[in-house]
Amino acid sequence: MRRAVLLTLGVLLLPLPAAAQGTPAPVQNATLRRAIQAYDNLDFAQVVTIANQALRERLTSSERARAYELLGFAYSATGQPDQAINSFKETILLDPDRELDPGRVSPRISGYFNAALGQVMVVRLLGADSSQFIAGQGFVPVRYTVTSRARVRARAVSGQTSVLLDSSITVGQVNLRWTARLPNGDPVPAGTYTIVVEATAGQNSFSTSRQLRVAHGAVDTLPHLTSLPGYTYLPETEVPPKSWRPMGLALVYTGVALAGTSALSSGDLGSASLREAGTVGAGVVLAGFIMTLRKPAPQPARGNILYNQLLREQIARRNAEIAQENQRRRQQVAISVVPLARPGSGR
Amino acid sequence: MNGRRFAGWTVSVICALLAVYPSNRLLAQHVAIGPQVVFGDYREVSADLQYRGAGMGAAATFTWKKLSADVALSKVKYKPSKDGTATQEFDASELDVRLRYYVTGPVSAELGFVNRKADPEFEAQSVGAVTAGARMAYLLGPGVRMNLHGGLMFGPKFSGGGKVSALGALELGLGMTVDALRGRVRFTGDYGFQRLTRKTDDGSGEVNVPIQQSLGRLGVAVVF
Repeated sequence: MRRAVLLTLGVLLLPLPAAAQGTPAPVQNATLRRAIQAYDNLDFAQVVTIANQALRERLTSSERARAYELLGFAYSATGQPDQAINSFKETILLDPDRELDPGRVSPRISGYFNAALGQVMVVRLLGADSSQFIAGQGFVPVRYTVTSRARVRARAVSGQTSVLLDSSITVGQVNLRWTARLPNGDPVPAGTYTIVVEATAGQNSFSTSRQLRVAHGAVDTLPHLTSLPGYTYLPETEVPPKSWRPMGLALVYTGVALAGTSALSSGDLGSASLREAGTVGAGVVLAGFIMTLRKPAPQPARGNILYNQLLREQIARRNAEIAQENQRRRQQVAISVVPLARPGSGR
Repeated sequence: MNGRRFAGWTVSVICALLAVYPSNRLLAQHVAIGPQVVFGDYREVSADLQYRGAGMGAAATFTWKKLSADVALSKVKYKPSKDGTATQEFDASELDVRLRYYVTGPVSAELGFVNRKADPEFEAQSVGAVTAGARMAYLLGPGVRMNLHGGLMFGPKFSGGGKVSALGALELGLGMTVDALRGRVRFTGDYGFQRLTRKTDDGSGEVNVPIQQSLGRLGVAVVF
Protein backbone atom coordinates (compact mmCIF):
# COMPACT_ATOMS: atom_id res chain seq x y z
CA MET A 1 0.00 0.00 0.00
CA ARG A 2 2.75 2.37 0.95
CA ARG A 3 4.60 1.49 -2.23
CA ALA A 4 1.49 2.32 -4.26
CA VAL A 5 1.16 5.70 -2.60
CA LEU A 6 4.78 6.52 -3.25
CA LEU A 7 4.37 5.50 -6.86
CA THR A 8 1.32 7.66 -7.27
CA LEU A 9 3.10 10.56 -5.63
CA GLY A 10 6.09 9.98 -7.88
CA VAL A 11 3.88 10.12 -10.96
CA LEU A 12 2.36 13.37 -9.79
CA LEU A 13 5.79 14.81 -9.11
CA LEU A 14 7.24 13.43 -12.31
CA PRO A 15 8.97 16.04 -14.38
CA LEU A 16 8.45 15.72 -18.08
CA PRO A 17 11.44 14.71 -20.17
CA ALA A 18 13.89 17.55 -20.81
CA ALA A 19 12.48 19.48 -17.91
CA ALA A 20 15.63 21.54 -17.77
CA GLN A 21 15.46 24.80 -19.67
CA GLY A 22 17.07 24.79 -23.08
CA THR A 23 17.56 21.97 -25.53
CA PRO A 24 19.52 19.11 -23.89
CA ALA A 25 22.56 17.75 -25.66
CA PRO A 26 21.91 14.35 -27.34
CA VAL A 27 22.86 11.44 -25.14
CA GLN A 28 25.42 9.05 -26.70
CA ASN A 29 25.98 6.71 -23.77
CA ALA A 30 23.72 3.62 -24.03
CA THR A 31 23.51 3.06 -20.28
CA LEU A 32 22.38 6.62 -19.73
CA ARG A 33 19.80 6.19 -22.47
CA ARG A 34 18.52 3.12 -20.60
CA ALA A 35 18.29 5.14 -17.41
CA ILE A 36 16.24 7.80 -19.25
CA GLN A 37 14.02 5.05 -20.63
CA ALA A 38 13.52 3.67 -17.12
CA TYR A 39 12.65 7.17 -15.88
CA ASP A 40 10.10 7.52 -18.68
CA ASN A 41 8.63 4.16 -17.48
CA LEU A 42 8.44 5.55 -13.94
CA ASP A 43 10.75 2.80 -12.70
CA PHE A 44 12.66 5.00 -10.28
CA ALA A 45 14.56 2.15 -8.65
CA GLN A 46 15.89 1.16 -12.03
CA VAL A 47 16.70 4.80 -12.74
CA VAL A 48 18.88 4.97 -9.62
CA THR A 49 20.60 1.74 -10.45
CA ILE A 50 21.23 2.38 -14.11
CA ALA A 51 22.19 6.06 -13.64
CA ASN A 52 24.78 5.12 -11.01
CA GLN A 53 26.05 2.46 -13.39
CA ALA A 54 26.32 5.05 -16.15
CA LEU A 55 28.26 7.38 -13.85
CA ARG A 56 30.92 4.71 -13.51
CA GLU A 57 31.33 4.76 -17.27
CA ARG A 58 33.05 7.32 -19.49
CA LEU A 59 30.59 10.23 -19.95
CA THR A 60 30.81 13.68 -21.27
CA SER A 61 30.32 16.55 -18.84
CA SER A 62 26.85 17.15 -20.22
CA GLU A 63 25.92 13.44 -19.93
CA ARG A 64 27.28 13.31 -16.42
CA ALA A 65 25.16 16.32 -15.44
CA ARG A 66 22.16 14.65 -17.05
CA ALA A 67 22.80 11.42 -15.09
CA TYR A 68 22.94 13.29 -11.77
CA GLU A 69 19.79 15.21 -12.72
CA LEU A 70 17.97 11.89 -13.33
CA LEU A 71 19.13 10.70 -9.96
CA GLY A 72 17.89 13.93 -8.41
CA PHE A 73 14.48 13.49 -10.02
CA ALA A 74 14.33 9.81 -9.00
CA TYR A 75 15.35 10.49 -5.40
CA SER A 76 12.81 13.33 -5.26
CA ALA A 77 10.11 11.01 -6.54
CA THR A 78 10.94 8.37 -4.03
CA GLY A 79 11.07 10.74 -1.09
CA GLN A 80 14.82 10.86 -0.50
CA PRO A 81 15.54 14.59 -0.24
CA ASP A 82 19.16 14.37 0.92
CA GLN A 83 20.15 12.17 -1.99
CA ALA A 84 18.13 14.37 -4.34
CA ILE A 85 19.88 17.52 -3.15
CA ASN A 86 23.29 15.88 -3.36
CA SER A 87 22.54 14.75 -6.91
CA PHE A 88 21.39 18.23 -7.89
CA LYS A 89 24.57 19.74 -6.33
CA GLU A 90 26.63 17.53 -8.63
CA THR A 91 24.47 18.62 -11.55
CA ILE A 92 25.00 22.29 -10.70
CA LEU A 93 28.73 21.93 -10.28
CA LEU A 94 28.94 20.26 -13.69
CA ASP A 95 26.56 22.73 -15.38
CA PRO A 96 26.23 25.87 -13.25
CA ASP A 97 23.82 27.56 -15.67
CA ARG A 98 21.41 24.63 -15.60
CA GLU A 99 17.89 25.62 -14.59
CA LEU A 100 14.68 23.71 -14.19
CA ASP A 101 11.60 24.86 -15.96
CA PRO A 102 9.18 25.81 -13.15
CA GLY A 103 6.27 25.19 -15.53
CA ARG A 104 7.25 21.56 -16.04
CA VAL A 105 8.83 20.63 -12.72
CA SER A 106 6.96 20.26 -9.48
CA PRO A 107 7.59 22.83 -6.77
CA ARG A 108 8.95 20.08 -4.58
CA ILE A 109 11.71 19.17 -7.04
CA SER A 110 12.38 22.86 -7.65
CA GLY A 111 12.72 23.26 -3.91
CA TYR A 112 15.31 20.49 -3.75
CA PHE A 113 17.11 22.05 -6.70
CA ASN A 114 17.15 25.50 -5.04
CA ALA A 115 18.36 23.92 -1.81
CA ALA A 116 21.21 22.39 -3.78
CA LEU A 117 22.01 25.80 -5.28
CA GLY A 118 22.39 27.24 -1.80
CA GLN A 119 24.81 24.54 -0.79
CA VAL A 120 27.32 25.02 -3.60
CA MET A 121 29.43 28.01 -4.48
CA VAL A 122 29.22 28.79 -8.21
CA VAL A 123 28.88 31.82 -10.42
CA ARG A 124 26.13 31.29 -12.93
CA LEU A 125 24.14 33.04 -15.60
CA LEU A 126 26.98 35.36 -16.55
CA GLY A 127 25.73 37.56 -19.34
CA ALA A 128 26.28 40.85 -21.09
CA ASP A 129 24.05 42.82 -23.44
CA SER A 130 24.94 44.10 -26.87
CA SER A 131 25.68 47.80 -26.59
CA GLN A 132 26.68 50.71 -28.71
CA PHE A 133 27.77 53.97 -27.17
CA ILE A 134 30.27 56.79 -27.33
CA ALA A 135 33.32 56.09 -25.21
CA GLY A 136 32.89 57.72 -21.85
CA GLN A 137 29.16 58.21 -22.27
CA GLY A 138 27.83 54.68 -21.96
CA PHE A 139 28.47 51.22 -20.59
CA VAL A 140 27.98 47.51 -21.16
CA PRO A 141 25.51 45.89 -18.74
CA VAL A 142 27.10 42.77 -17.19
CA ARG A 143 25.27 40.49 -14.78
CA TYR A 144 25.82 37.22 -13.00
CA THR A 145 24.55 35.31 -9.99
CA VAL A 146 26.64 34.05 -7.08
CA THR A 147 24.97 31.15 -5.27
CA SER A 148 26.85 31.58 -1.94
CA ARG A 149 28.52 34.50 -0.25
CA ALA A 150 31.99 34.83 -1.70
CA ARG A 151 34.67 37.30 -2.70
CA VAL A 152 33.94 37.92 -6.36
CA ARG A 153 36.28 39.62 -8.82
CA ALA A 154 35.11 40.45 -12.32
CA ARG A 155 37.67 41.36 -14.97
CA ALA A 156 37.76 42.07 -18.70
CA VAL A 157 40.80 40.45 -20.26
CA SER A 158 42.23 40.73 -23.73
CA GLY A 159 45.87 39.86 -24.33
CA GLN A 160 47.95 42.06 -22.05
CA THR A 161 44.94 44.22 -21.22
CA SER A 162 43.14 43.40 -17.99
CA VAL A 163 40.54 45.77 -16.58
CA LEU A 164 38.99 45.17 -13.19
CA LEU A 165 35.23 45.59 -13.32
CA ASP A 166 34.36 44.85 -9.73
CA SER A 167 35.67 43.22 -6.60
CA SER A 168 33.32 42.65 -3.69
CA ILE A 169 31.93 40.14 -1.24
CA THR A 170 28.49 39.35 -2.49
CA VAL A 171 25.75 36.80 -2.99
CA GLY A 172 22.80 36.67 -5.32
CA GLN A 173 22.40 38.56 -8.58
CA VAL A 174 25.02 41.17 -9.39
CA ASN A 175 24.58 43.88 -12.04
CA LEU A 176 27.67 45.72 -13.26
CA ARG A 177 28.28 48.52 -15.69
CA TRP A 178 31.44 48.15 -17.73
CA THR A 179 32.40 51.52 -19.22
CA ALA A 180 34.91 49.86 -21.60
CA ARG A 181 37.61 52.29 -20.54
CA LEU A 182 41.15 51.78 -19.39
CA PRO A 183 42.21 53.09 -15.98
CA ASN A 184 43.64 56.21 -17.68
CA GLY A 185 40.24 56.97 -19.18
CA ASP A 186 40.99 55.95 -22.76
CA PRO A 187 38.59 53.54 -24.46
CA VAL A 188 39.74 49.93 -24.42
CA PRO A 189 41.36 48.81 -27.69
CA ALA A 190 39.18 46.96 -30.15
CA GLY A 191 39.31 43.17 -29.98
CA THR A 192 37.88 40.13 -28.28
CA TYR A 193 37.53 40.45 -24.51
CA THR A 194 36.79 37.78 -21.98
CA ILE A 195 34.74 38.75 -18.97
CA VAL A 196 36.14 36.56 -16.21
CA VAL A 197 34.27 36.27 -12.92
CA GLU A 198 36.14 34.53 -10.10
CA ALA A 199 34.50 33.67 -6.80
CA THR A 200 36.46 32.59 -3.72
CA ALA A 201 35.07 31.46 -0.38
CA GLY A 202 37.56 29.79 1.95
CA GLN A 203 39.15 26.90 0.12
CA ASN A 204 36.49 26.92 -2.56
CA SER A 205 36.86 28.85 -5.72
CA PHE A 206 34.96 29.02 -8.95
CA SER A 207 35.33 31.00 -12.15
CA THR A 208 33.32 31.48 -15.29
CA SER A 209 33.77 33.63 -18.33
CA ARG A 210 32.01 35.13 -21.27
CA GLN A 211 33.54 36.51 -24.47
CA LEU A 212 32.66 39.86 -26.00
CA ARG A 213 33.79 41.50 -29.20
CA VAL A 214 34.61 45.19 -28.87
CA ALA A 215 34.72 47.22 -32.09
CA HIS A 216 35.59 50.87 -32.63
CA GLY A 217 33.84 53.23 -35.02
CA ALA A 218 33.61 56.87 -35.86
CA VAL A 219 30.93 58.97 -34.22
CA ASP A 220 28.43 60.37 -36.71
CA THR A 221 28.79 64.08 -37.34
CA LEU A 222 25.90 66.48 -37.71
CA PRO A 223 25.10 68.01 -41.12
CA HIS A 224 25.26 71.79 -41.40
CA LEU A 225 22.01 73.67 -41.67
CA THR A 226 20.87 75.64 -44.68
CA SER A 227 17.54 76.50 -43.12
CA LEU A 228 15.77 76.24 -39.83
CA PRO A 229 12.75 73.93 -39.62
CA GLY A 230 9.59 75.99 -39.74
CA TYR A 231 11.36 79.14 -40.92
CA THR A 232 11.77 80.26 -44.52
CA TYR A 233 13.41 83.27 -46.06
CA LEU A 234 11.04 86.07 -47.03
CA PRO A 235 11.32 88.10 -50.25
CA GLU A 236 13.49 91.13 -49.63
CA THR A 237 11.64 93.28 -52.11
CA GLU A 238 7.95 93.89 -52.53
CA VAL A 239 5.95 95.63 -55.20
CA PRO A 240 4.07 98.56 -53.71
CA PRO A 241 0.46 99.12 -54.74
CA LYS A 242 -0.16 101.23 -57.83
CA SER A 243 -0.24 104.92 -56.99
CA TRP A 244 -1.11 108.22 -58.64
CA ARG A 245 1.67 109.85 -56.68
CA PRO A 246 4.12 110.12 -59.66
CA MET A 247 1.49 111.84 -61.79
CA GLY A 248 0.44 114.09 -58.94
CA LEU A 249 3.98 115.12 -58.12
CA ALA A 250 4.79 115.72 -61.78
CA LEU A 251 1.80 118.03 -61.99
CA VAL A 252 2.84 119.81 -58.81
CA TYR A 253 6.44 120.28 -59.93
CA THR A 254 5.37 121.50 -63.35
CA GLY A 255 2.72 123.75 -61.86
CA VAL A 256 5.23 125.29 -59.49
CA ALA A 257 7.66 125.90 -62.37
CA LEU A 258 4.97 127.52 -64.55
CA ALA A 259 3.44 129.52 -61.74
CA GLY A 260 6.86 130.53 -60.48
CA THR A 261 7.85 131.73 -63.92
CA SER A 262 4.71 133.81 -64.20
CA ALA A 263 5.04 135.18 -60.71
CA LEU A 264 8.71 136.00 -60.95
CA SER A 265 8.73 137.49 -64.40
CA SER A 266 9.17 141.24 -64.54
CA GLY A 267 6.06 143.24 -65.31
CA ASP A 268 8.09 145.67 -67.40
CA LEU A 269 8.92 142.88 -69.84
CA GLY A 270 5.40 141.84 -70.69
CA SER A 271 3.85 138.47 -70.12
CA ALA A 272 6.34 135.70 -69.49
CA SER A 273 7.13 133.13 -72.15
CA LEU A 274 5.87 129.76 -71.02
CA ARG A 275 7.00 127.93 -74.16
CA GLU A 276 10.19 126.57 -72.58
CA ALA A 277 8.63 125.71 -69.22
CA GLY A 278 5.64 124.21 -70.96
CA THR A 279 7.75 121.99 -73.17
CA VAL A 280 9.83 120.58 -70.35
CA GLY A 281 6.80 120.47 -68.02
CA ALA A 282 4.83 118.49 -70.59
CA GLY A 283 7.64 115.97 -70.66
CA VAL A 284 7.62 115.75 -66.87
CA VAL A 285 3.84 115.26 -66.73
CA LEU A 286 3.99 112.66 -69.50
CA ALA A 287 6.71 110.79 -67.63
CA GLY A 288 4.67 110.97 -64.42
CA PHE A 289 1.61 109.66 -66.23
CA ILE A 290 3.53 106.74 -67.72
CA MET A 291 5.08 105.93 -64.36
CA THR A 292 1.64 105.94 -62.80
CA LEU A 293 0.38 103.43 -65.35
CA ARG A 294 3.46 101.22 -65.08
CA LYS A 295 3.78 98.50 -62.53
CA PRO A 296 5.69 100.01 -59.61
CA ALA A 297 9.27 98.96 -59.17
CA PRO A 298 9.93 96.52 -56.33
CA GLN A 299 10.96 98.29 -53.17
CA PRO A 300 13.14 96.89 -50.40
CA ALA A 301 10.99 95.29 -47.70
CA ARG A 302 12.81 96.39 -44.57
CA GLY A 303 10.92 94.07 -42.23
CA ASN A 304 11.67 91.07 -44.41
CA ILE A 305 15.31 92.11 -44.81
CA LEU A 306 15.65 92.34 -41.05
CA TYR A 307 13.87 89.00 -40.59
CA ASN A 308 16.16 87.31 -43.14
CA GLN A 309 19.18 88.86 -41.50
CA LEU A 310 18.13 87.49 -38.12
CA LEU A 311 17.43 84.10 -39.70
CA ARG A 312 20.85 84.05 -41.36
CA GLU A 313 22.49 84.99 -38.07
CA GLN A 314 20.58 82.25 -36.26
CA ILE A 315 21.59 79.64 -38.85
CA ALA A 316 25.20 80.83 -38.74
CA ARG A 317 25.17 80.62 -34.94
CA ARG A 318 23.67 77.13 -35.06
CA ASN A 319 26.19 76.01 -37.70
CA ALA A 320 29.00 77.34 -35.52
CA GLU A 321 27.67 75.20 -32.68
CA ILE A 322 27.38 72.22 -35.04
CA ALA A 323 30.96 72.73 -36.22
CA GLN A 324 32.10 72.83 -32.61
CA GLU A 325 30.09 69.71 -31.81
CA ASN A 326 31.44 67.92 -34.91
CA GLN A 327 34.99 68.83 -33.94
CA ARG A 328 34.35 67.21 -30.56
CA ARG A 329 32.70 64.18 -32.14
CA ARG A 330 35.63 63.60 -34.48
CA GLN A 331 37.79 63.11 -31.41
CA GLN A 332 35.36 60.58 -29.93
CA VAL A 333 35.14 56.80 -30.46
CA ALA A 334 31.95 54.86 -30.90
CA ILE A 335 32.19 51.50 -29.16
CA SER A 336 30.15 48.48 -30.20
CA VAL A 337 30.06 45.46 -27.91
CA VAL A 338 28.61 42.13 -29.01
CA PRO A 339 28.59 39.00 -26.82
CA LEU A 340 30.14 35.96 -28.55
CA ALA A 341 29.07 32.33 -28.32
CA ARG A 342 29.52 30.97 -24.81
CA PRO A 343 32.77 29.08 -24.37
CA GLY A 344 31.48 27.22 -21.32
CA SER A 345 32.39 27.38 -17.70
CA GLY A 346 34.82 25.52 -15.54
CA ARG A 347 35.73 24.78 -12.00
CA MET B 1 34.22 144.15 -67.29
CA ASN B 2 34.53 143.30 -63.60
CA GLY B 3 31.91 140.58 -64.01
CA ARG B 4 33.81 138.91 -66.80
CA ARG B 5 36.99 138.89 -64.72
CA PHE B 6 35.09 137.40 -61.77
CA ALA B 7 33.47 134.72 -63.87
CA GLY B 8 36.75 133.83 -65.51
CA TRP B 9 38.42 133.49 -62.13
CA THR B 10 35.68 131.17 -60.86
CA VAL B 11 35.90 129.00 -63.96
CA SER B 12 39.64 128.73 -63.49
CA VAL B 13 39.29 127.63 -59.87
CA ILE B 14 36.73 124.94 -60.68
CA CYS B 15 38.73 123.68 -63.64
CA ALA B 16 41.79 123.47 -61.44
CA LEU B 17 39.84 121.49 -58.81
CA LEU B 18 38.58 119.06 -61.42
CA ALA B 19 42.06 118.71 -62.90
CA VAL B 20 43.63 118.02 -59.50
CA TYR B 21 41.00 115.43 -58.64
CA PRO B 22 42.20 111.95 -59.66
CA SER B 23 40.60 111.09 -62.96
CA ASN B 24 40.36 107.38 -62.19
CA ARG B 25 38.24 108.09 -59.14
CA LEU B 26 36.04 110.34 -61.19
CA LEU B 27 35.60 107.63 -63.77
CA ALA B 28 34.69 105.22 -61.03
CA GLN B 29 31.60 107.30 -60.37
CA HIS B 30 28.65 108.22 -62.54
CA VAL B 31 29.53 110.52 -65.38
CA ALA B 32 27.04 111.57 -68.01
CA ILE B 33 27.85 113.73 -70.97
CA GLY B 34 26.01 114.55 -74.14
CA PRO B 35 24.68 117.17 -76.59
CA GLN B 36 21.57 119.25 -76.19
CA VAL B 37 19.15 121.25 -78.30
CA VAL B 38 18.59 124.62 -76.70
CA PHE B 39 15.77 127.07 -77.23
CA GLY B 40 14.99 130.23 -75.34
CA ASP B 41 13.28 133.53 -74.84
CA TYR B 42 15.26 136.65 -73.92
CA ARG B 43 13.90 140.03 -72.86
CA GLU B 44 15.64 143.14 -71.74
CA VAL B 45 14.70 146.68 -70.68
CA SER B 46 11.10 146.63 -71.88
CA ALA B 47 8.45 144.43 -73.48
CA ASP B 48 9.52 145.68 -76.88
CA LEU B 49 12.97 144.17 -76.64
CA GLN B 50 12.16 140.51 -77.06
CA TYR B 51 14.21 137.77 -78.64
CA ARG B 52 13.61 134.15 -79.34
CA GLY B 53 16.12 131.68 -80.53
CA ALA B 54 17.54 128.20 -80.66
CA GLY B 55 20.92 126.61 -80.68
CA MET B 56 23.07 123.80 -79.53
CA GLY B 57 24.64 122.93 -76.25
CA ALA B 58 26.32 120.25 -74.22
CA ALA B 59 25.94 119.15 -70.65
CA ALA B 60 27.92 116.97 -68.33
CA THR B 61 27.01 115.58 -64.93
CA PHE B 62 29.36 114.09 -62.36
CA THR B 63 28.10 112.24 -59.33
CA TRP B 64 30.18 111.10 -56.39
CA LYS B 65 28.55 109.99 -53.18
CA LYS B 66 26.54 112.97 -51.90
CA LEU B 67 28.22 115.37 -54.25
CA SER B 68 27.32 116.05 -57.83
CA ALA B 69 28.19 118.69 -60.37
CA ASP B 70 26.45 119.90 -63.52
CA VAL B 71 28.18 121.79 -66.27
CA ALA B 72 26.08 123.08 -69.15
CA LEU B 73 27.32 124.99 -72.19
CA SER B 74 24.99 126.51 -74.74
CA LYS B 75 25.04 128.85 -77.64
CA VAL B 76 21.72 130.32 -78.74
CA LYS B 77 21.15 132.56 -81.69
CA TYR B 78 18.52 135.03 -80.51
CA LYS B 79 16.46 136.74 -83.17
CA PRO B 80 14.21 139.74 -82.53
CA SER B 81 10.61 138.89 -81.98
CA LYS B 82 8.13 140.07 -84.62
CA ASP B 83 6.17 141.92 -81.96
CA GLY B 84 9.16 143.84 -80.70
CA THR B 85 11.22 146.77 -81.85
CA ALA B 86 14.62 145.08 -81.85
CA THR B 87 16.22 144.64 -85.22
CA GLN B 88 19.60 143.01 -84.57
CA GLU B 89 20.07 139.36 -83.68
CA PHE B 90 22.84 138.18 -81.38
CA ASP B 91 24.45 135.02 -80.06
CA ALA B 92 24.27 134.21 -76.37
CA SER B 93 26.97 131.81 -75.11
CA GLU B 94 26.25 130.60 -71.64
CA LEU B 95 28.18 128.53 -69.15
CA ASP B 96 26.23 127.22 -66.19
CA VAL B 97 28.11 125.35 -63.47
CA ARG B 98 26.47 123.93 -60.33
CA LEU B 99 27.91 121.99 -57.43
CA ARG B 100 25.34 120.10 -55.46
CA TYR B 101 25.41 118.44 -52.06
CA TYR B 102 22.68 116.07 -50.92
CA VAL B 103 21.20 117.25 -47.64
CA THR B 104 18.23 115.10 -46.73
CA GLY B 105 15.13 113.53 -48.23
CA PRO B 106 14.63 115.05 -51.65
CA VAL B 107 16.59 118.22 -50.85
CA SER B 108 20.06 119.15 -52.08
CA ALA B 109 21.93 122.42 -51.72
CA GLU B 110 23.38 124.05 -54.81
CA LEU B 111 26.20 126.48 -55.37
CA GLY B 112 27.52 127.58 -58.73
CA PHE B 113 27.88 130.33 -61.19
CA VAL B 114 26.49 131.42 -64.50
CA ASN B 115 28.23 133.36 -67.21
CA ARG B 116 26.51 134.53 -70.38
CA LYS B 117 28.18 136.46 -73.13
CA ALA B 118 26.42 138.31 -75.89
CA ASP B 119 27.90 138.69 -79.33
CA PRO B 120 27.86 141.37 -80.67
CA GLU B 121 28.74 142.69 -77.26
CA PHE B 122 26.40 145.67 -77.22
CA GLU B 123 23.29 143.99 -78.55
CA ALA B 124 22.55 142.45 -75.15
CA GLN B 125 24.01 142.42 -71.69
CA SER B 126 26.70 139.90 -70.80
CA VAL B 127 26.13 138.63 -67.29
CA GLY B 128 28.16 136.79 -64.67
CA ALA B 129 26.85 135.81 -61.24
CA VAL B 130 27.27 133.32 -58.45
CA THR B 131 24.20 131.17 -57.83
CA ALA B 132 23.05 129.57 -54.62
CA GLY B 133 19.86 127.67 -54.00
CA ALA B 134 18.20 124.40 -53.32
CA ARG B 135 16.90 121.55 -55.38
CA MET B 136 14.17 119.00 -54.74
CA ALA B 137 14.39 115.76 -56.65
CA TYR B 138 11.91 112.95 -56.89
CA LEU B 139 12.11 109.49 -58.39
CA LEU B 140 9.01 109.09 -60.53
CA GLY B 141 9.78 105.49 -61.36
CA PRO B 142 12.64 103.19 -62.31
CA GLY B 143 15.21 105.43 -64.03
CA VAL B 144 12.91 108.43 -64.26
CA ARG B 145 13.67 111.47 -62.09
CA MET B 146 12.42 115.01 -61.96
CA ASN B 147 13.66 118.00 -60.07
CA LEU B 148 12.68 121.51 -59.21
CA HIS B 149 15.26 124.05 -58.19
CA GLY B 150 15.36 127.69 -57.30
CA GLY B 151 17.80 130.17 -55.91
CA LEU B 152 19.34 133.57 -55.90
CA MET B 153 22.03 135.02 -58.12
CA PHE B 154 24.55 136.89 -56.05
CA GLY B 155 26.85 139.66 -57.21
CA PRO B 156 25.71 139.82 -60.78
CA LYS B 157 27.97 141.80 -63.07
CA PHE B 158 26.84 143.23 -66.37
CA SER B 159 28.84 144.30 -69.36
CA GLY B 160 26.86 147.54 -69.47
CA GLY B 161 27.07 148.21 -65.78
CA GLY B 162 24.22 148.46 -63.35
CA LYS B 163 23.31 146.84 -60.13
CA VAL B 164 20.75 144.51 -58.67
CA SER B 165 19.19 144.54 -55.23
CA ALA B 166 19.81 141.67 -52.82
CA LEU B 167 16.72 139.72 -53.85
CA GLY B 168 16.51 141.11 -57.34
CA ALA B 169 18.22 138.29 -59.18
CA LEU B 170 16.28 135.02 -59.10
CA GLU B 171 16.35 131.78 -60.91
CA LEU B 172 13.95 128.87 -61.16
CA GLY B 173 14.28 125.55 -62.92
CA LEU B 174 12.55 122.30 -63.73
CA GLY B 175 14.28 119.19 -64.99
CA MET B 176 13.84 115.55 -65.72
CA THR B 177 16.01 112.62 -66.73
CA VAL B 178 14.97 109.30 -68.21
CA ASP B 179 17.48 106.44 -68.19
CA ALA B 180 17.44 104.02 -71.08
CA LEU B 181 19.45 101.01 -72.22
CA ARG B 182 20.02 99.87 -68.67
CA GLY B 183 21.19 103.28 -67.63
CA ARG B 184 23.79 103.67 -70.37
CA VAL B 185 21.85 106.42 -72.11
CA ARG B 186 20.01 109.25 -70.45
CA PHE B 187 17.46 111.58 -71.99
CA THR B 188 17.32 114.97 -70.35
CA GLY B 189 14.99 117.94 -70.32
CA ASP B 190 15.80 121.12 -68.42
CA TYR B 191 14.12 124.42 -68.06
CA GLY B 192 15.80 127.46 -66.53
CA PHE B 193 14.33 130.87 -65.83
CA GLN B 194 16.38 133.90 -64.82
CA ARG B 195 15.17 137.31 -63.80
CA LEU B 196 17.53 140.12 -62.95
CA THR B 197 16.02 143.40 -61.76
CA ARG B 198 18.87 145.49 -63.03
CA LYS B 199 18.99 149.19 -62.39
CA THR B 200 21.26 151.79 -63.93
CA ASP B 201 21.91 155.36 -63.11
CA ASP B 202 23.06 157.69 -65.84
CA GLY B 203 23.05 160.65 -63.51
CA SER B 204 19.40 161.47 -63.88
CA GLY B 205 18.32 158.85 -61.40
CA GLU B 206 17.89 155.08 -61.29
CA VAL B 207 16.31 153.46 -64.28
CA ASN B 208 14.88 149.93 -64.32
CA VAL B 209 16.45 147.86 -67.04
CA PRO B 210 15.41 144.30 -66.18
CA ILE B 211 16.76 141.22 -67.89
CA GLN B 212 14.82 137.97 -68.19
CA GLN B 213 15.58 134.70 -69.91
CA SER B 214 13.74 131.41 -70.24
CA LEU B 215 15.88 128.58 -71.54
CA GLY B 216 14.82 125.08 -72.44
CA ARG B 217 17.32 122.29 -73.04
CA LEU B 218 16.50 118.87 -74.46
CA GLY B 219 19.32 116.40 -74.83
CA VAL B 220 20.70 112.95 -74.64
CA ALA B 221 23.71 111.83 -72.64
CA VAL B 222 25.91 108.81 -72.43
CA VAL B 223 26.43 107.52 -68.92
CA PHE B 224 29.76 106.05 -67.87
